[in-house]
Amino acid sequence: MIPYAISIKYMIGGYAVIFSILAIYLVSFFVRFRSLQRDLETLQELESEDK
Amino acid sequence: MSSDRKGPTPSSRPPASFSRAVFAVAWKDLAAELRSRELLSAMLVFALLVILIFNFAIELAPSLRPTVTPGVLWVTFAFAGTLGLNRSMAIEKDRGCLDGLLLAPVDRAAIYFGKMLSNLTFMLIVEIVVLPVYSLLYNTNLFVPGLLGVILLGSIGYVAVGTLLASMAVQTRTRDVLLPILLFPVIVPVLLSAVRASGGFLQGLPMEQIRPWINLLAAYDVIFLAVAYMVFDQVVEE
Amino acid sequence: MKPQPKALTFLTLLSALFLAGALAMVFLYAPLEAVMNYVQKIFYFHVATAWVGMLGFIVAAVAGVLYLIRKDLKWDIVELAAVEISLVFFLIAIVSGSIWARPSWGTWWTWDARLTTAAILELVYLAYLLLRQGIEDPERRARFGAVYTLIGGISVPVTFLSIRLWQTIHPAIIGTASAEAQGGFDMAPAMLHTMFFALIAFSVIFATLLWQRIRLGKLAEQVEQMKLKISE
Repeated sequence: MIPYAISIKYMIGGYAVIFSILAIYLVSFFVRFRSLQRDLETLQELESEDK
Repeated sequence: MSSDRKGPTPSSRPPASFSRAVFAVAWKDLAAELRSRELLSAMLVFALLVILIFNFAIELAPSLRPTVTPGVLWVTFAFAGTLGLNRSMAIEKDRGCLDGLLLAPVDRAAIYFGKMLSNLTFMLIVEIVVLPVYSLLYNTNLFVPGLLGVILLGSIGYVAVGTLLASMAVQTRTRDVLLPILLFPVIVPVLLSAVRASGGFLQGLPMEQIRPWINLLAAYDVIFLAVAYMVFDQVVEE
Repeated sequence: MKPQPKALTFLTLLSALFLAGALAMVFLYAPLEAVMNYVQKIFYFHVATAWVGMLGFIVAAVAGVLYLIRKDLKWDIVELAAVEISLVFFLIAIVSGSIWARPSWGTWWTWDARLTTAAILELVYLAYLLLRQGIEDPERRARFGAVYTLIGGISVPVTFLSIRLWQTIHPAIIGTASAEAQGGFDMAPAMLHTMFFALIAFSVIFATLLWQRIRLGKLAEQVEQMKLKISE
């Protein structure tokens, strides 16, 4: 049997890693979404200036 | 955009002209190589260097040789193989031969099989030179008929996928570095089973233990030749 | 960009609820395992994330084939979305599995079929992203990407079989005596419920992420097209 103290440490470590990778992915997702939206707005402005 | 353009369907032409086209494409490469010899010499020198480096990197002590030899051989073949594949497709691209070939009234699949055949020939020549050199340097007899069969099957699988991926890689911006990155992760079954089967023959294992690996190799060859045949059209479309 | 559809907002909220529910079941409902106790709780999310990775892998391969047949860039967007999600979730599954393996098998890594195949799949998908990066023409990028996912989609199962043939010490999930000796365990009914709930929860999360990622892909396509139009 694995001692409780060790087992609980690995469990916390495991869930910390799971949620940090998820969080990093979600943050990168939002950052990309934001910057794309900004790009789109700038491009739309450029286009309307051309006309 | 000509995305809907497709090569003539293979069923629409007689089989004789298909095989003639395949051999014409392969022969064009071999004849060019006979004249320049730049591809083969590079592959050969590189292969010998890899074997030499292995000697320093891992102690090829006599007691370890039977177990390590197949691994060393296949890593050598795989490295030399990417060198050859990259070069043979890059030449086509740079000299504009590929465009000429695509304009020619032949089935695109014939171009694939022709290129595959010439790449396979180059690889087999390298292997034919490496085997006796390795036997000589490390005092191991590699001329086991079964091993030669495994090398043929493994090389076919390697080149079948390699030719397809190389023709994609040369059309990208990062072409020189891309081929091994694309090729190695999908070639794992070939390398794994070829190493196991080669090791089996070198250690004189009973045939029952080797046969699953041979079957796997043969299955991989058939599957990927068929897949490459079906999708090559998509890779060379302009 | 059109505003987020109501159904997607609902699905996003639903996934958050499901994630909270799965966590609650793991920590409040599922019993402690006798031998591995706390660390075994990683198992539920480990299996669920691996499942999402598999879903992404299948969706990507199907979308790739559909692109090659239909030549519609929308399938390319689906394919890229599925690849990216699969890449992230397989990474989670591999790392969490590794952390679980350390105390229970005494090692971070074994060259077992599932583990090694997952690692190779990650490499295939990284290669896929590098391939796309090297191509500027969207139509060719989609074509090459689809061909490569097809090649990967066929070779990865063969890789799995070949490594299986080579060796395996991964536990069968529902324990037999021999699996238990290798680090497997018997599942109590409450553990089974928790596992199935986690699987459903992560399937919903997968659907949400896929939808959101497809929207991101469409936005990126729109920006790319506008850039081309303006530079002309």
